[in-house]
Amino acid sequence: MEVFLQTLVAGILKGGLYALIGLGMTLIMGVMGIINLAHGQLMMVAMYVTFVLFHYLGIDPYTSLLISMPSLFLLGVLIQKYLLNPLMKVESILPENQVLMTVGIGMVLTEIARFIFTSNYLSVKTSYSSAAIFVGGISFSVALTIAFIFACTLTGILFWFLIKTDLGRSIRAVSQDGEAAQLMGINAERIKVVTMGIGSALVAAAGTLLLPIYYLFPDIGGPFTRRAFVITILGGLGSTVGAIFGGLTLGLAEAFSSTYMGMEFEDMIGLVIFVLVLLFLPGGLKSLTKV
Amino acid sequence: MNRIVFCLFTTVLVALVSLGLVLAAGDPIKVGVVLPLTGEQAKFGEIEKNSFVMGVEEINKSGGINGRPIDLMMEDDTGKPDVGRSAIEKLISQDKVIVVTGGYSSSVTYAVSAAAQQRKIPFLVTTGSADKITEQGWDYVFRIGPPVSEYPKALNSFLAEVVKPKTVAILHENTLFGQSGSKEFAQQCESTGIKVLMKEGYEAGAVDFKPLLIKVKAAKPDFVYMISYIMDAALLMRQSKELNFNPKLFVGGGAGFTLPEFASNAGDAAEYVFSADLWSPTLPYTGAKEYFDNYLKRFNTPTEYHGAQAYSSIYVVADALKRAKELTPEGVREALTATDMMTVFGPVKFVSYEKKKQQNSLPTYLVQWQKGVLETVWPKNVATKPYVFPVSEWSQR
Repeated sequence: MEVFLQTLVAGILKGGLYALIGLGMTLIMGVMGIINLAHGQLMMVAMYVTFVLFHYLGIDPYTSLLISMPSLFLLGVLIQKYLLNPLMKVESILPENQVLMTVGIGMVLTEIARFIFTSNYLSVKTSYSSAAIFVGGISFSVALTIAFIFACTLTGILFWFLIKTDLGRSIRAVSQDGEAAQLMGINAERIKVVTMGIGSALVAAAGTLLLPIYYLFPDIGGPFTRRAFVITILGGLGSTVGAIFGGLTLGLAEAFSSTYMGMEFEDMIGLVIFVLVLLFLPGGLKSLTKV
Repeated sequence: MNRIVFCLFTTVLVALVSLGLVLAAGDPIKVGVVLPLTGEQAKFGEIEKNSFVMGVEEINKSGGINGRPIDLMMEDDTGKPDVGRSAIEKLISQDKVIVVTGGYSSSVTYAVSAAAQQRKIPFLVTTGSADKITEQGWDYVFRIGPPVSEYPKALNSFLAEVVKPKTVAILHENTLFGQSGSKEFAQQCESTGIKVLMKEGYEAGAVDFKPLLIKVKAAKPDFVYMISYIMDAALLMRQSKELNFNPKLFVGGGAGFTLPEFASNAGDAAEYVFSADLWSPTLPYTGAKEYFDNYLKRFNTPTEYHGAQAYSSIYVVADALKRAKELTPEGVREALTATDMMTVFGPVKFVSYEKKKQQNSLPTYLVQWQKGVLETVWPKNVATKPYVFPVSEWSQR
């Protein structure tokens, strides 16, 4: 029973972080209709920002959220404004080719990181990096628990923003029907720029929260882009509620397969779920909940 | 105009070449080196390359091979057996080397050894540790480092004399190195009466090892043996601490557990972790400490057993070249078989035992992280600090 509960806790805590990674991607997916394949690489950039702030200025990773999120917001805005939006205007290029552009951006970001920081492994060690609280024999990693709380808070703020504010409503409108939204007087191009910024800021938060418990090197982005992709498909493209459930499902699936099947199957299980969802539930969890 | 440029160019060229030869005159002797200089194993290739260069410069400065300097011909194997094979073919056919050394990963070393045997060029293996490399009866292949099955030799005697464990859990990364190492160790445990409770592989680069560690914790092994690369090793230890998982001891099987990066990334979770090791600068071998200090001074980073193997390899090659009756591959091979010398890596003598041929036999060591420093703790006669055992629980530190 202890093994089961501990696995459950590990899965849920990790799922919270995954949800945050997936949320950014699904938001971008909804508004722009493309998968952002540089998502993990943006997270890598945020992790380097956090590392530099911690290592050279001694700023705690949680405080540096205040810097890493805005700077990644800015990076996302610039990428959308100067690299992705111009592609839309060239008629000979299909809009879908923005996806290829994101792959390129991801590679450039990785190589820039390698150029500046080399391929060495880096990590941020804080007093709480390997601390744990015990509740009835079950260990809760302090850093992961804090990350989980932050993830829930940020998700809450995002929902409030999407439902209550004008800008949030505009984003939802463009997500539901871009052309109709434009006819209603919404500047779709500006909305796309803002959405890309918010998506990048969300994944930046995930990266910053992950760094105290994990490590960092330039090629770290790829596996997380893949996970974000699986979560987005699992939750249903463009569905924010779906992304949360997708993240939790993936976290739990990875944890339980490691405990009960063997850890070498951990990566495989995510992709098996991916294929099964595409085969039997092509719309993802969204098609069940209609949210 | 062209002529002036040409003249200038030749002058500079001649000046540069003679600058290199000024310390040891005469025709250089070419020695081939095969190493992973790019790719995933480049970090290890770099340590070995630096050590080879250091060794050659010292040898040439003190007169070279009877007045002739050694010229290192480095080839990159990129960590792939097929590239390694063509690298040694190039060294033999184009550069006409009469002896080859190097070889980091086991699979590359195996391919290079086969080619060396086929072309009848002596090959001194620096690291490549799979047992089968020296078990083929190849008479042109020599190995300075111990085979992988002997890495935990010191650990086994420590277990038998001090810990006396009954059960073990083995965790390994899911690669050829991890799989073969864990298989060998499981067999050794079974034969000494230690029960292997579980042998679990994992995919390198995982975020969360807790599900795996929970399972290991529930099995309550006396000790845990791990074969991992640096960052996985650090995470395994950090998360064991988080879970308050307290076996009698944690032991690493060399590789990631002896590098300085392990301690800096695992932090206090690295404390009191044991590991198998092949060398340390504190061993009573002449020059070991100097080699370590010189390396640190020149490259600004500490060296470890891979570097010592490379540094010693070039000295063994130089010794054989000096003694060779004639400078042909056959002459060098014969000189190598008669090698009996002291290096910073330990005494080198190529002997045949069990199925192995022309294999250098060396003791291995058990090291332990104590206050962030890697201390040799077993066998007792070379220990730099007494071992800390039993280790107190995480919560009581």
